[in-house]
Amino acid sequence: MECSLESWEKEVIRCIRCGACQNVCPVFKELQAESTVARGRVKLIRGVINQDLGLTEGFIDKISLCLMCKACVVNCPSGVKVDKLVEAARKEIADKEGLSLLKNLIFRLVLKNRWVFNTGMRTGRIFQGLFFRKGPHGQGMLPRMSLGIDKRRLLSPLAQKPLKSMFPEVVKTTEATMRVAFFTGCMINYIYTDTGRAVINVLKHSGAEVVIPALQNCCGTPVRINGDYETARMMAKANIDVFLKEEVDVVVVACGTCGLSLKEEYAELLGDDPIYAKKAKQLGGMIKDFTELLVSLEGIEDRMGRLPIKVTYHDPCHLGRGLKVKEQPRQIIRSIPEVVFEEMDKPDTCCGSGGSFSLYHYELSTQINDHKVEAINQTGAEVLVTGCSACRMHIADGLNRQGFSVKVMHTAQLVEMAYEAKGKSLETLKNRPQGGIKGE
Amino acid sequence: MRSEIIQKLGEIVGKNNLYTSLEDLYCYTYDASFVKADLKKDLAGVAVYPANTEEVAQILKLANLEKIPVVPRGAGSNVSGGSVSVGDCIVLVLKRMNKILELDRKNLIAVVEPGVITSQLQSEVERVGLFYPPDPASQAFSTMGGNVAECAGGPRGVKYGVTRDYVIGLEIVLSNGEVMNTGGRTIKNVTGYDMTKLFTGSEGTLGVITKIIVKLIPLPEAKSTMMAVFPEIDQACETVSEIIAMGLVPCSLELLDNIYIRNIEEYAKVGLPTEAGAVLLIEVDGDSEILAKQIGKIEQICRQLGAVQIRVAKTKEEAEELWRARRSAFAAVARLKPTIIGEDATVPRSSIPVAVRRIQEISAKYNIIIAILGHAGDGNLHATLLTDETNLEEMSRVEKAIDEIFIATVELGGSLSGEHGIGRAKSKFITLQIGEVGLEVQHQIKKALDPNNILNPGVMFGA
Repeated sequence: MECSLESWEKEVIRCIRCGACQNVCPVFKELQAESTVARGRVKLIRGVINQDLGLTEGFIDKISLCLMCKACVVNCPSGVKVDKLVEAARKEIADKEGLSLLKNLIFRLVLKNRWVFNTGMRTGRIFQGLFFRKGPHGQGMLPRMSLGIDKRRLLSPLAQKPLKSMFPEVVKTTEATMRVAFFTGCMINYIYTDTGRAVINVLKHSGAEVVIPALQNCCGTPVRINGDYETARMMAKANIDVFLKEEVDVVVVACGTCGLSLKEEYAELLGDDPIYAKKAKQLGGMIKDFTELLVSLEGIEDRMGRLPIKVTYHDPCHLGRGLKVKEQPRQIIRSIPEVVFEEMDKPDTCCGSGGSFSLYHYELSTQINDHKVEAINQTGAEVLVTGCSACRMHIADGLNRQGFSVKVMHTAQLVEMAYEAKGKSLETLKNRPQGGIKGE
Repeated sequence: MRSEIIQKLGEIVGKNNLYTSLEDLYCYTYDASFVKADLKKDLAGVAVYPANTEEVAQILKLANLEKIPVVPRGAGSNVSGGSVSVGDCIVLVLKRMNKILELDRKNLIAVVEPGVITSQLQSEVERVGLFYPPDPASQAFSTMGGNVAECAGGPRGVKYGVTRDYVIGLEIVLSNGEVMNTGGRTIKNVTGYDMTKLFTGSEGTLGVITKIIVKLIPLPEAKSTMMAVFPEIDQACETVSEIIAMGLVPCSLELLDNIYIRNIEEYAKVGLPTEAGAVLLIEVDGDSEILAKQIGKIEQICRQLGAVQIRVAKTKEEAEELWRARRSAFAAVARLKPTIIGEDATVPRSSIPVAVRRIQEISAKYNIIIAILGHAGDGNLHATLLTDETNLEEMSRVEKAIDEIFIATVELGGSLSGEHGIGRAKSKFITLQIGEVGLEVQHQIKKALDPNNILNPGVMFGA
């Protein structure tokens, strides 16, 4: 992968400044200033390349105002890879100006090192009280001191135990027809263990033996999109080594961002590496989102019981536009007996989370989120299903902020509920006296 | 810009609606055209986003008093350089004034603010069975104010005309800050000069549009789409003339040349024969009962004039598939070269074959790839120059080629611009078409309405 910002000039000049990105950029929708839309960002980057502009605070601020949602990329008539350009600009900033203090600490020390991360996240449960206070009504946590994170941000608390310590490294099943590895990702491992549990349970009951390699670490995206390539490469290599060792054909992910990273971005990141370029491609070919894998399995519908609830679905940016997984989750939701599926307006518009974006631009990210919450409410759904933990946290935060009682869950959790519903009805059947099935 | 001016502007629009940082202002040095502001002398002093007519009036009053240039701007999707910052100016962005004020079904009119997005107005009126036809390619993000200021067109122009044909009244803030209303809510209106038409297409040089009244028509019941492939581009051009001569008026009549065909096929695989000279994409609309008959007649004309392949869409999906070819045209050629310059010289319909030949000759002479895609039904050819702006030597040839296209267009009795506007890009050619007398009259109109030349100076008549 070419690395200097100058090397991106060829990409930058492909922007013909038509303005089509104005129609889809969620940040521009709120701010309306030309410097906050993809076309403006590309122009600013071009300004730095031809030295009209420097890496000023103003420039850094504008470049930080991108959610990396890719809406502009898929809508661009000339196909300008705006996300890659923003990433390259962030890398230039990180290389020349250094990462900000907090980002530096998190990225270099914590995410990179699984052991520190694990201990930190575990002891974090004890120490998080020091840095964060309890939210109103005892929910979530609010940052106590300025860490560069907006003080109003409601974060989900860490789970009691990380997912990986809740399950053995190999989750066996009696009638295994396949063997898959599960890349958990950080949020599922440390915060939303319920999603992880659902993925494992559903796969297990669908006939798959699930391997959860203990040595896997963060996919590296938070580091990479903020410009720290050196750390990102190390993390990529570590994960490649861990997963290629497993005897599996499929590595399943339950997060579009992690998935895209493993499937495509490792290969870009390590394109010049004599050893890892090939390995990255090999791993990339094995990656499947949970829903992609599930729809390819036989008999899943027979395992689903009735769930008489109204459901709507939010497309995570990196799952929909990144991994191009849009139909599979809908197909799964629709196949659950008695689920009423209601599509929301613009289901693929970014929820405003953008990973660390929501920590640094909280106000803006909630404004963007308000439109999503409104669209969800319009459907009258009781459950919002999505395929990304960051979206889940941000949408739950938005719904909570506005006092709506819609439940938010991962697609795997809905399927788990459907499987459980079937289990229960079978149970009831078995326990009934013979000939007692009436009125079903 | 002096700090007390910025202070005063801040008091008018509020601090949050005003931008002064280098990075912000840098992003008003361009629009969708090829014109670039000279950073040393044309970086704006400030960009302001007023909320209403009153604020616009106050801004213009101040600017006029201080003789500060004002560049009105909507989505900045202008393709002739009319919304690029000039001098130490005020960029006046009207995007916050974005409400549809009225949708009057009894009188078939809509009243909108200038920041309303064109396609938003269209979907709103279509919801109640009405139709606002002008459809510039930028309709999904361009503003109504910009559309009126440039008199935007689009493929439907062949049947439904352009923006001018729908604007019946305007509210305008003049250069001294006074507010004027033109036209009104009636179709018939001959009180005084037709000021509405004067301001429509005035490119921000005579006043700032703050309210627009447009007429609407009933939404056509149905559409039918077909595609015809011709071995030679001349045959396609003749077909266009014949269709029109027979009294058939399609709502779109789009021509793609061989360069487009080859690239579209390579890019989108829509089943076009790559050796074909031209493709016509034809759409008719209206009462569903007469559509099949119309398409039948057009099909017959196409065959008589040498079409080797004809595809009539039987379903909506098939029509979509045919349009996919046209829509992927741009992305297809964008892969060839990094810089794409779209011109919009327009000639009388009967001169299309000659115009196409002239453009091909110019292409060969300067060794520049020029692809042609056009709203052929109304003579509006979009010669597309494919180049690389970092190659300065090639760019100088591109400029010469564009100059020659303009000269050829005027010689053929055409117009320098069909729908993109003169802006800063073509101002040096304006006399070529309107003549010395015409220029003098237009100068005097400009002077009467904007004596201090603060409104978009340099646009239309040059610096």
